[in-house]
Amino acid sequence: MKLISISRLTIAAFVICASVSLVCASETLRIGAINPYSGPLALYGDEVARGYEIAIDEANAKGGVVGRKIELVRGDASSPPQGIAAVEKMAGQDDVEVFVGTYISAVSNAASDAALRYSRVYWDTNALAGDLTERGLPNFIRSGPYANSFAEISATATRDLLAPALEKDIKSTKVWIEHEDSIFGTSIAELQKQLLEKMGAQVVGIGAHNYRAIDLTDSILRAKAAGPDVWIETGYVPDGSLLLRTMRDQGFKPAAIMMVATGDTYETFDALGSDFLQGITVVGYPRADQTEVYGPGSAAYLAAYKTKYNREPIAPQSMTAFVGMQMLLEAIAGAGGTDMEKLRATAAKMDKPSSSYATGFGVKFDEKFQNTRAFPTVVQWQAGKVVTVFPKSAAQPQVKLVNLPRQ
Amino acid sequence: METFLNILISGILLGGIYSLVSIGLNLIFGVVRIVNFAQGEFVMLAMYATYFCTMHLGINPYLAALLVASLMFVFGLAVQRAVLQPLQTEPMMQIFATFGLLILLENSMLAVTRGEAFSLSGAYSSVVINLFGLKASGVRVVVFIAATAIAAALMLFLQRTMPGKAIRAVIQDRQAARLMGINVERAYLLTFALGTALAGIAGALLAPIYTLSPYIGGNFILAAFAVVVLGGLGSVPGAYIGGLIVGLIESFSGYYVDPALKQAIWFVIFVAVLIIKPSGLMGQVGAEEVGLREQS
Amino acid sequence: MTAITQTLTNGQRAGSGPKPLAEMLLQYAGWLLLSLLPLVLVWNKPYWVNIVAYSYLFAGLAAAWNIIGGFGGQFSLGHGVFFAIGAYAVARLYLDLGLTPWLAIYPAAGLASMVAVLISWPTFRLRGPFFAIATMAINEACFAVANYADRLTGGPRGILIPFRASVANMIFIERWKYAVLTFGFMSLVVLLTVVLRRSRLGHYLLALREDEDTARAAGIDVLKVKLIGMAISAALTGAGGGIFAMYVRVIDPPTLFALPDIGVKFALISLIGGIGTIMGPVVGALLIVPVENFLRGTLGGMVPGGHLIVLGIVLLCAALFLKRGLVGAFTAVLRRYWHGKAP
Repeated sequence: MKLISISRLTIAAFVICASVSLVCASETLRIGAINPYSGPLALYGDEVARGYEIAIDEANAKGGVVGRKIELVRGDASSPPQGIAAVEKMAGQDDVEVFVGTYISAVSNAASDAALRYSRVYWDTNALAGDLTERGLPNFIRSGPYANSFAEISATATRDLLAPALEKDIKSTKVWIEHEDSIFGTSIAELQKQLLEKMGAQVVGIGAHNYRAIDLTDSILRAKAAGPDVWIETGYVPDGSLLLRTMRDQGFKPAAIMMVATGDTYETFDALGSDFLQGITVVGYPRADQTEVYGPGSAAYLAAYKTKYNREPIAPQSMTAFVGMQMLLEAIAGAGGTDMEKLRATAAKMDKPSSSYATGFGVKFDEKFQNTRAFPTVVQWQAGKVVTVFPKSAAQPQVKLVNLPRQ
Repeated sequence: METFLNILISGILLGGIYSLVSIGLNLIFGVVRIVNFAQGEFVMLAMYATYFCTMHLGINPYLAALLVASLMFVFGLAVQRAVLQPLQTEPMMQIFATFGLLILLENSMLAVTRGEAFSLSGAYSSVVINLFGLKASGVRVVVFIAATAIAAALMLFLQRTMPGKAIRAVIQDRQAARLMGINVERAYLLTFALGTALAGIAGALLAPIYTLSPYIGGNFILAAFAVVVLGGLGSVPGAYIGGLIVGLIESFSGYYVDPALKQAIWFVIFVAVLIIKPSGLMGQVGAEEVGLREQS
Repeated sequence: MTAITQTLTNGQRAGSGPKPLAEMLLQYAGWLLLSLLPLVLVWNKPYWVNIVAYSYLFAGLAAAWNIIGGFGGQFSLGHGVFFAIGAYAVARLYLDLGLTPWLAIYPAAGLASMVAVLISWPTFRLRGPFFAIATMAINEACFAVANYADRLTGGPRGILIPFRASVANMIFIERWKYAVLTFGFMSLVVLLTVVLRRSRLGHYLLALREDEDTARAAGIDVLKVKLIGMAISAALTGAGGGIFAMYVRVIDPPTLFALPDIGVKFALISLIGGIGTIMGPVVGALLIVPVENFLRGTLGGMVPGGHLIVLGIVLLCAALFLKRGLVGAFTAVLRRYWHGKAP
């Protein structure tokens, strides 16, 4: 009897393993990272993927997840059709079980839609457009901050950080909102306007520009004519640098300058120099210089990046990606695998307070699966370095604001 | 009033930038008659080369301009000889080949630099000239002066020297020039190399103004084409004035209408001018037609 | 019986008159069926089915471009405008009026056609590279306008078409159904070009490509011919844009107006395949689109821009060594073969 049972069991086990192996055909758990790895945003795509790699190395060192080693597969995509093709390749051919990404929102949109056809979860760590969660796609989960988060922090920081430094009340503060004209800048600017007006600030004007423009003097002159106290700009590095240079050339000196999403890296430093940058604030992805209390593990992340890539991280987006990957791996561990329904259910139950991760994020997804505990922070250029200044709990205790109002 | 003057100056200086970038293209387009998609990439290469010379070799950027221009001249010779000359009888394929060159150059630079944004840092790039309350960035004034000087020098070259006259002959009528004993192929070679060298100067002088990226060439190329065609094929003063006009239109429409629409506005004006006067503002009437028919 | 006969480009013998239209249609239908082969080969690999579907769509779009660009010799690089109009129109009609895309394509094509005539009327005064540059400028201007007019186009956000699969919605779960759809589109356009080529309009277009002034002297109303050719080309391009909208379902100005991916690509495909030939666009698309995707898939993640470096080299070599396009090279080889074989 026992022999027959054992052989039956063996056969059953074999059949089960065989059919299971048809589904997850390999020992390795493959995660597909869809990002632009070519084109003007290639650097950010690469930085984000580096963040993923570091999180994966960390997990693999501890035996992987659900007992399997993890492998990152990159899919280059700079436009929606390319995003679709990348998903088709990775889901249909490369045995990728779950997707992460994606530095361009339109790509994330199309790719996550395509991933749904394969019932694969699309765990977005970096795309900013509000639509991505608004559309209610059943496989889409966003672990990082999005346009709303950036707009909220910029409005709150204007009220709680800049206005007091200028010795003004928010209601008497004049704000000019400048933004680049693609979905990235436009969506953040729209929200900034709404929030600031709700706070009672005077939005004296909104300017849109093309990030590839050869000349932005008109944008600066228009802002100058409106005489704002605070000049807030959302854009990329080339246009941000050109705007700042033009401000310098045209002698436009608002009392406070706040850049959003870019402007906090050495790229801007090289372009403008430490004297000009002194006092400029940047609302950006959290940085590794935060306090360990606010962002536990940020110093460890910095060290890991330096060891693996022999230099400092260029764009802080990578740490947000790193944390996003950590969250995904935790969710997979909790769900026992990458099955879409189970992963989603596990994510819905995840609840960690703010300051649980290196970026200072916590995790709690709302009904649209947007992480409500992910926020950018505000840094300030001080003596050629960026220093976290807001929220107060993120800033090192000895940090003070400099050069506000701007001399 | 002060604002108006500021915008005027800004428009003129922007025009200087457009003129400088377009001068080389004007020569190439006028003589060799190809839509050189890769012209913007030549400017980009020159910018990176200048960055390298300035930041890593410590050469003064304006001296580096001469070095870079010479290197680009040689590069232009190579491209013309290897890629364009074999395709002389196939103008469509030439366009196609320059497009391939564009993709190749852009992405090679991306592969080398990973896409990191470089900037030339140095005190000279933040010099601001202040006259009667009107401000102008020092590096842009240099660009404007250079554009003017180069346009003048090029005009002299084309009018007074033998190679220059040969080039003008080829612009007017390729076949007749050949019949007159002008070595048309050599004219092409010289022109293309010269045009590339001029792109090199443009890149070197523009490098202090912009943040470098492998894709920055694309920002200039369409405007450069529009300036060349607007100004009139083969007309150096035409390209110069065309650049100024485009710069002024862009500056004024950007301020008084909307910065988001300024490109659309000057594109529409560009097409409108062409429709009224297809040979461009100062081009010889028919110059663009005559050269076109000759395909071999 | 040898010396007098000479072969023409498509294998006919001079002196026996052109083949009857029905026979030509049948011949090209045969070639089109042959181009189904890639789909058949990869039918169970959704990655490749997606790429083949996309290739057919672009083959159709390139064939539409070929009408005015290849036959007519008017090298337009601004066909992205018509593509975008078609995409936006179908999307809007489908989302706002609930009109099925199968019907929405017609008004979309019509709109693209009207806009084409409007902007081409003045622009056709320009020739050759000037015309090309002007069309590029128009493309850029329309990009800026599409970004700005967000009530109509959704602005930079674009238009997102939610997934509701049904035949009536032209939204399918399986990629092979899309492939069949785009194959149908491509076949329609190609067969239309066969008819066009044989028609009087086609001959006029070819005439003005060869020598516009002589054509005018021969009594051809050059502007009218160009406009009709452009109208047809734009209508078909708009239809293709509508199909694209229902395929990708995320349409925004950067996707629709990008010159290298759309406007220039139509011309590129025709050039590589063989400009002015009937099957050139099909061959070109079935080569370029898979190669580009394959390169992106394999090299895309490794070296930044690596796959595009290879593509640039491929384009350069194709330009240098395939001067008459692939179809041209193929027929040249055939011609040599026939000459050698003639008794």
